[in-house]
Formats: sequence, structure tokens, C-alpha cells
Amino acid sequence: MTSVVAFCLIAAMLTAYTLLDGYDLGAAAIAPLLARTRGERSAIVESIGPFWSGNEVWLVAAGGALFALFPRAYAVSFSGFYLPFIIVLWLLMFRGIALELRAHLPGDMWMDFWDAALSISSALLVLLFGVALGNLVGGLALDADGYFTGTFGSLLNLYATAVGLLAVFALVQHGLAYVAAHVEGALGERALRYIGTVWWLVTIAYLGVTAATIALHRNDLAGAPFATVASAFALAALVSVGRSARLGHAMAAFWASLAFIAGLLVAAAATMYPYLLRPHAGATGRGLTIFQAAPPPASLALSLAVAVIGLIGVIAYSVFLRRRMPAKVSVREEGAAASPGR
Amino acid sequence: MDVVLADRLQFSFTVMFHYLFPIGTMGIAPFIVWYNYRALKTGEARYAAAARFWTKIFGVNFAIGVVTGIPMEFQFGTNWAAFSDKTGPVIGQPLMIEGVYAFFLESIFLGVLLYGRERVSPRLYLFSAVAVWLGSWLSGYFIVVTDAWMQHPVGYSLGPAGQIQLQSLAAVLFSPFAQWQYAHVMTGAVVAGGFIVAGIGAYYLLAKRDLEFGRDFVRSGVIVALAGSVLVIFPTGDRNGADITAYQPVKLAAMEGLFESTNGAPLAIVGMPDVPGHKLIDPIFVPDLLSFLAYGSFRANVNGLTSYATELWPPVELTYYAYHVMVGLGTIFIAVAAGAAFLLWRRKLFETPPALWVLLLLMPFPYIANEAGWVTAEVGRQPWIVYGLMKTQAGTSPNVVTGETIFTLIGFAGMYFLLGLLFVMLTLREISIGPAEEVAR
Repeated sequence: MTSVVAFCLIAAMLTAYTLLDGYDLGAAAIAPLLARTRGERSAIVESIGPFWSGNEVWLVAAGGALFALFPRAYAVSFSGFYLPFIIVLWLLMFRGIALELRAHLPGDMWMDFWDAALSISSALLVLLFGVALGNLVGGLALDADGYFTGTFGSLLNLYATAVGLLAVFALVQHGLAYVAAHVEGALGERALRYIGTVWWLVTIAYLGVTAATIALHRNDLAGAPFATVASAFALAALVSVGRSARLGHAMAAFWASLAFIAGLLVAAAATMYPYLLRPHAGATGRGLTIFQAAPPPASLALSLAVAVIGLIGVIAYSVFLRRRMPAKVSVREEGAAASPGR
Repeated sequence: MDVVLADRLQFSFTVMFHYLFPIGTMGIAPFIVWYNYRALKTGEARYAAAARFWTKIFGVNFAIGVVTGIPMEFQFGTNWAAFSDKTGPVIGQPLMIEGVYAFFLESIFLGVLLYGRERVSPRLYLFSAVAVWLGSWLSGYFIVVTDAWMQHPVGYSLGPAGQIQLQSLAAVLFSPFAQWQYAHVMTGAVVAGGFIVAGIGAYYLLAKRDLEFGRDFVRSGVIVALAGSVLVIFPTGDRNGADITAYQPVKLAAMEGLFESTNGAPLAIVGMPDVPGHKLIDPIFVPDLLSFLAYGSFRANVNGLTSYATELWPPVELTYYAYHVMVGLGTIFIAVAAGAAFLLWRRKLFETPPALWVLLLLMPFPYIANEAGWVTAEVGRQPWIVYGLMKTQAGTSPNVVTGETIFTLIGFAGMYFLLGLLFVMLTLREISIGPAEEVAR
């Protein structure tokens, strides 16, 4: 029972990470295509500037929770996917540095360089996160101890790549909705119009990935009822994203996009359940389930309670601060970009 | 190269580079709170300007600290999988709690501190400064708890198959070993913070610019540095040393370069260890002092390294030098801070350029002392990854080979070189813009 709660907690933390940092990554990835001027690009970055670091903590905290609650899965997966994992760390570093330092020196070259680094690293991060999720949901080549036996190349299989593309489209849509809801003027309106185009890509990728997932796991899906409900919820939310964008309701589109991504991730978690590392069909290993990876339940209960209480506090002061410090920004004239602390 | 050595090099490099920045954030955060409090209380523009100046310096520190901190949370899994698998039920707990209770607090409220000055009320702004301070110091606590468990494991039990299980979360979180170690680590950061603030103030006075700020920074920096450098030695360093004497006597012998067990053991002030020869070269001793410091009696017996099997010795040279560098610098800090405080009291400090030069040039040394302290603690812990429970050798990832670790080590080295350059460049730029510029904003 505690193992199931622990699984749900980590899934919830990673969902929160994707919902929150997802708009940072998506908005940064699409910024070069969305912004017409340097001032517009700055407005996009400033709309996420105060929040990205707090959003990223959801990933770090989820990593800590995985370490505490499923140490075996933490050990086996991080070392098993050594190289891709370290590349993700490097990209996260580039992304953070670009966001924090882009406004520290005057001059357009400095900012252009860091903005390019930001967009490239954000786009690659989304793709890699998506591919990783695709492999976790689709199944992996594992040995008897749960260690990964495939190659870097084998991680870029067709199914995982499709999930990677879905992640890119969905988070770009999410980032566009965030910009539309938080940046005033022509830029926000343009972001809303772009959703109209991206929405089709998201829909095609969503339908393709859903069909492939059903085909892959039709005989072997413990969480099938949850996955079906969550998937249907995601579809309804996706329809609502498109409709809100067409009607010009930016905030509604953003909320619908939050619901869409949450639905997708709950469906993914339900598809994985009860595995943390699911073996692909025909693999020799048995994979790693939450029951094998967890320490004895007695020691878990208190940690879980401590973590849940702490997270309720985090959510409370996050919401409080968002209300006190609304994220609305407007596009400034060229060269008048604000920098931190000023 | 041996895979264990490659993994150790990578971890020590990434963690030592990372720790440079928490020293700055933990040391500077109290000053930001102080200046924001003064600004709110007096309404004077110069305090608000000083707060903004230090927030900018903090911001650069935080940015590099946060991006170099993320790999730390995950490197246990990538490079030390066997260790993580075995000890995760215990040391995963403080790491998870650090994320949930401390890192969120610091990151989310820093967003307010950096971007919210015109968007939130002055009271909420001051509260955010306090939250950032609290977050950074709480982070430090849970990280020290994690390390303290590796130094002196408590609150666990061994399962039927020898697996480590959590027995009591409270025993781990409130481990007595962690209490003094934390107090020692934090006062170390306070010393650094004091000398950073005093050093930058001294620069402004010597450069004859931003004078009002320079005087204020030197004054508050020197006072904090004096208090910190006394507390870092007594009681915190002394009590932390008592824990090492009690629980890690081999480490104590290596730190002191004591090879033979001695009644009335001398304290080596300087000297170079000759490990095969079991002696110190060119030593200067204070007779009987080590016995007194370790056991409170000048005639007490202190066990030397030769009382223990050689395979249980930590790398003696590195442990010895790191410890002596830390203690030597700590002594110099007290002398400098006391001298500067005396001049301050006589109202001569601001007109004594040599003293200001000393304060300016001293700035890098608290960093060295802090790092040397950690090297003493962690190299001195070898050959154990968890003291008495698990050897470092047994902790690496079974399926990650030397070639992979060397590749990523080179990658980290390149990346951190770039980050180091950026940090120096941007910090110097903020200093050269200066706090006076902030008054107008």
C-alpha cells in the first residue's frame, strides 16, 4: 500500500514538474519562431524569469523522492542510462545559466547568444524527456537485475521517438498558451494564433501515440481503467485547448493545456504501473516493479507523510506568491530589458 | 585508471566546485536580510541600495550554485549506484526533505527577491529575504545530515540479508554528530560572508569610490567575521573535533600526523608527513597539547595510525594538509578580524590602507579554508563511504566503466571552467558598477 502511495507521489511530483517547467521549456523552445524582435523575445523570457528556478525544484525534489522511496530504481535507472542522463544534466545547466545570465551584460550579442543557447537546450530537453518517457512506457531491454542492456541508439526507437515528438508539440503548445495568457499585446495574440497550427500536430501525435500504446500493451496493462479514463480526459482537454485558442480565450487555453498534459502523464503512469522499469516484450529480465524497489513499508510511511505535508506547504506559498506577484509582462522598447535585481 | 578513482575524482571535483557558491549564498544571505530590515525600518535609500547590491551578488552565486547543484542530487545514482541502492532507504530521506522543505523555499522566494521589488509590498519583500536565508541555511542542514550519516551512521538497522533499513527518521535527522558539524559548517560560511562583505567594502575605500557603502560594508563585515572566526573554532570546531576523536580516531591520527600511540601527544603546528617512514619531517611541536585537546588531559594516550591496520588509513598526506590548511587559516582569520575590529573601535580602520589591503586580499582564503575543511572530513573518511559499514570501493555503479566516467568528467571540467569564468567576470562587473549606482534606481 505504501509502495502504491509512493508511486503516486513521485508520479504527481513529476507531473507538477512537467506542468510548471513545461511552460518554461516550451516557451523558450518556440521563442525564436514566435518573437519578431529582441524586445518580444525578452518579454517571453521575462514572463518565465521569476518562476523557472522554483519550477525546476519539482524535478530535483522528485529525484530526491525517488532516492528515498525507491532507492533501487534510482540506482539502477540513473546508472543504467548514464550518458543520456548526464547529457540531460548538462542541458539543464545550460538552460539555467542562459536564463539567469542573459541580462547581466549590456549589448545585444550577449543576449542573442544566451537566448539561442536557451532555446536550443530547452528544445533538446523536451525531446529527451519525451524519449525517456517513451522508453519507460514502451518498455526497455533489461537484465535480470534491472540494469539496462541496450545502447544509446536503441533508446531512439520508433515508439520512443514518437513520444518525444508528442512531448515537443505538447509543451510548445503549453508554452504558447502560457505566453498568450501572460504577455500583453500583439505578442500574446500571435502566440494564441500559433496554437491553432501546433494544435493539429499535437492532435496527430496524440492519436498516433495512443494507438501505438494500445497496440503495444493490449494484453498486459494493470492500470488499464485509469489509463483509459486519463487518456479520454486528456482528449477532452485537448479539444478545449483548440476551442479556447480559436475563441481568443488565452487563460482558458492555458488551463486546458495544463489539464491535457496532466491527463497524458496520468495515463503514462497508469500504463507503467506497477513497473518503475518496464521490460519490453521479449526481454530476458523481469523489470523492476514498485514492490521490488521499495524498502520495507514501515520505514516509508513516515517519510511519505513528511514529504506530503511539506509539498502541501510548498503549493500553498507558491499559489500565494503567484497571486501577490502576477506574471503579466508587456513588451518593452528595444534595449530597455529589465535585468534581475533592478 | 581504476573506476573507483575516476568516480571519486568526478565527485570531488563537482562537489568542491559546487560548494564555492553555497559558501557565498549562505554567507551573504544574512546581510541581505539585515540591509532589507534597515531599509524598511529607517526608510533610508542607502540601505535599500545596499540590499539590492548584495542581492545581485547573491543572484550570480545562486545561479551558478543551482546549476552545479543539480548534478549533485543525481550523481549518487549515476556514479554510485551500489551505494545508493544500499543506503538510499536512509540517506534518501534527508535529500528528499532538503528538496521539499528547503530548496523550494529558497528558489521560489528568490524569484520575489530578484524580480518582485516593485510588485510586492515592502513587508513581503523583507519576508522573502528571510525565507531565502532560511531556505539556504536549511538546505545546508539537510546536506550536512546526509554527510553526517556517512561519517557516523545512526538510526538504521540491518535486515536479514544485510540490507540497510531506516529505523528512526528522527534519529537520522537529529543525529548528534550532525549538530556540531552543521554549526561548524555554517560558522565557516559566516566567516566567508563576513570577509567577502568586508573585503568588497575595503576595495571601495581603497579605490576612493562608493565611500559611504565601503565604510558600512567594512564595519558590518568585520564584526561578523570576528564573531564567526571565534565561533568556528570554539565551540563548533572543538566539539566537531571531539566527535571525530570519539567516532573516527583513525581520521584524527591522520589529521594530526600522529603515527605512534603516545601518552602526552604533541600537536604538530607544521611538518610534512613521511608516511612510509612513519614520522613528520621538519615538525614544530607543542608538547602534550594534542592529548589535552582530544581528551582534556595533558598525559592522556592518543592512538597513532600504527595502532590501526594500514588498509583502514585514509590518505594521510591529503588529510593532514587539508586539516592544517584549515586550522592555520582559521587562526589567521581570528588575528585579522581582531586586529581590524580593534582599529574599527579606535576609529582608525577606514584611514589605515594597509589594514584595508589585508581585508581585500584575504577574500579568497575563507573559501580555501571551507573547502579544506570538507577535504579533511571526506578524504579522512576513506576508505569508508559509510563509516564502518560500507567501503568506498563497493559503492560505484556496477555497469559504468572508467571510460564513461572520464568522458563525463572532462565534460564537467569544461563546463565548470566556463561557469567559473562567467562567475568571476559578472561578479567583478557588479562590483565595478557598485552600490551607489543603486541609490538612483
